[in-house]
Amino acid sequence: MAKEGLGLEITELRLGLPDAEHQVSVVNKKNEKKRAFSEIDDGVGDENSSSGGGDRKMETNKSQVVGWPPVCSYRKKNSMNEGASKMYVKVSMDGAPFLRKIDLGLHKGYSDLALALDKLFGCYGMVEALKNADNSEHVPIYEDKDGDWMLVGDVPWEMFMESCKRLRIMKKSDAKGFGLQPKGSLKGFIESAAK
Amino acid sequence: MQRMAYTFSFPEEVLEHVFSFIWNERDRNAISLVCKSWYEIERWCRRKVFVGNCYAVSPLMVVKRFPEVRSIALKGKPHFADFNLVPDGWGGYVCPWIAAMARAFPCLEEIRLKRMVITDESLELIAKSFKNFKVLVLTSCEGFTTDGLAAIAANCRNLRELDLQESEVEEDLSGHWLSHFPDSYTSLVSLNISCLNNEVSLSALERLLGRCPNLRTLRLNRAVPLDRLPNLLLQCPQLVELGTGVYSTEMRPEVFSNLEAAFSGCKQLKSLSGFWDVLPSYLPAVYPICSRLTSLNLSYAIIQSSDLIKLISQCPNLLRLWVLDYIEDAGLYALAASCKDLRELRVFPSDPFGLEPNVALTEQGLVSVSEGCPKLQSVLYFCRQMSNAALHTIARNRTNLTRFRLCIIEPRTPDYLTHEPLDSGFGAIVEQCKDLQRLSLSGLLTDRVFEYIGTCGKKLEMLSVAFAGDSDLGLHHVLSGCDNLRKLEIRDCPFGDKALLANAEKLETMRSLWMSSCSVSYGACKLLGQKMPRLNVEVIDERGPPDSRPDDCPVEKLYIYRTIAGPRLDMPGFVWTMEDDSSLRLE
Repeated sequence: MAKEGLGLEITELRLGLPDAEHQVSVVNKKNEKKRAFSEIDDGVGDENSSSGGGDRKMETNKSQVVGWPPVCSYRKKNSMNEGASKMYVKVSMDGAPFLRKIDLGLHKGYSDLALALDKLFGCYGMVEALKNADNSEHVPIYEDKDGDWMLVGDVPWEMFMESCKRLRIMKKSDAKGFGLQPKGSLKGFIESAAK
Repeated sequence: MQRMAYTFSFPEEVLEHVFSFIWNERDRNAISLVCKSWYEIERWCRRKVFVGNCYAVSPLMVVKRFPEVRSIALKGKPHFADFNLVPDGWGGYVCPWIAAMARAFPCLEEIRLKRMVITDESLELIAKSFKNFKVLVLTSCEGFTTDGLAAIAANCRNLRELDLQESEVEEDLSGHWLSHFPDSYTSLVSLNISCLNNEVSLSALERLLGRCPNLRTLRLNRAVPLDRLPNLLLQCPQLVELGTGVYSTEMRPEVFSNLEAAFSGCKQLKSLSGFWDVLPSYLPAVYPICSRLTSLNLSYAIIQSSDLIKLISQCPNLLRLWVLDYIEDAGLYALAASCKDLRELRVFPSDPFGLEPNVALTEQGLVSVSEGCPKLQSVLYFCRQMSNAALHTIARNRTNLTRFRLCIIEPRTPDYLTHEPLDSGFGAIVEQCKDLQRLSLSGLLTDRVFEYIGTCGKKLEMLSVAFAGDSDLGLHHVLSGCDNLRKLEIRDCPFGDKALLANAEKLETMRSLWMSSCSVSYGACKLLGQKMPRLNVEVIDERGPPDSRPDDCPVEKLYIYRTIAGPRLDMPGFVWTMEDDSSLRLE
């Protein structure tokens, strides 16, 4: 029910787009140099994707308006420095309304990662996923450098850190559609996390 | 007898003594308007001068009027320079001011600059010219290097305060400018090097801290490693304000215990900042001093909500919190539950250019703080969703707000519940918060919000507007209704000529007006410049001379400020001043 409500909200938000586009168009007439907004990437399609090869959708960056949002130059520089020195990856969980970011560099191994994911998404059933692997509804997967989705825990931690671009905590039922099956190593990952 | 009564007055010495108790700049300004003799007495005993726009008055005018100044504060570039809307090289040069003061004010002690360009030559001139120089504060300044800082360190024997806040410094890689403080130098009270990128000489810093017994404020730069922080703190346990460097290192038990001991040894510590690259495992080292903290600036610290909650829940005496949006609604809920004396909250975006929310921060976080913190006065809040209902609740909860700056990250975002403009929400803020002095608008807004602002914003001094409004009427509401408005900055709004020209005289009562990507025509700018000789109307156009385009063509950027100094002499090629032409004057 809650999900359906969220879906409705998303749908309603999209219905607002024509107005936004119209406004942009109007403004453009008066300010010829102003850059237009690109299409908003709603990201909903991502969840519905069932291609066996994994998610190959390119995330397009909208063109940024100069000086917006009003974050001062000093802060932007310092934040960018931080970003460059970190191994941040985005984490999404099916059913959760927000993305998270996590710094892989701050974790020593899979058990640390599992604990961090628990902190981030505990209220969405991650605890259950960790403690009761066989009955868990969720499976952690990641997109590697080649754009393939892989099971978390299948390769040594260092290799995982180097190749991981994005994390997703996926419903187990959808994982089958991806051609991904929980294996022994994943079970070990979950068991070590539960300790 | 009657005649004597009319001419009675206190002797000058008495008046001067009375005036010495009046320190507020506006009160001093009012005193100087009473009569000629008060003007004369006031100008000779004025010690502090604030110039809100370095081009509003010339250095020579200030020097001539106030011969005994000890402290001066100057502001340069428009505020929008912070967001890259003002082209490089626009101006804000402090050099003429330093040169004039060096000749006229040998007893000058304090210089505070904001958004100005200052060179090493000017720093060297400061170092040599003012024999009792004590305070140098450079906020969001640029143009200098550590060589200039070395000159200050070497020559200002009475320096108490050196504050480099968010300035851009070209740095000598050796970091040895600190060594130029003489061994006999002991007067430092405040040192802020947080904006430096490179390593400083830690041994020089440690020696400096050790011989300055009155040091109260120390803000280190990011490059100061965490395992060296305890040694630094041992040199100055009397600190009241500390900004750490990087706050992570290899996990070693002795580092943690040294750190905890060092923090515990600072019995007067009340303010913390820094915390770059936080390793959460080290946060408990500050827990012993949390109950004393009144100010916490974690706005460069990437700390997840759960760790922030643990930290904030131990700081019941916080008056001020700056933080990234990692705090999330849950953290703000904890803040509201713990910090009943909070007056100022700033929440900055961790991913301002991301397409999707990366944190669970919504309007509800701000609502909970407005409910739980009865003394809240100042808010700066970046978020991705907002509703009129939430704004109404905030306004009802906190009628004592004086500063409310809300930035909804996507332009023209409507109320996410009703999809309507946010007019009535912001309207409630200006209507119920009767002491509101500063307001920043965002989200989907029509002219109606400006009607609210013009009607209710009687104490509003600074207004920032972006992507809002429908027509000239919006701007007219603001200019004709906000009696105390001093600074107005507008971008990407359909405001044009009519409102500006109809309220031309209002502009002379304001410090400045910035308009970019609006609908003001070049012809209107010329007319305004001709009509109002005490305004500098600057058209900023990097594309070339605006004369080459029709008069009804909108100007890209417009900066208008009042001045008694006339057009400035240091304009770059892309700035055109609409000068007064008396032969075309309208009257």
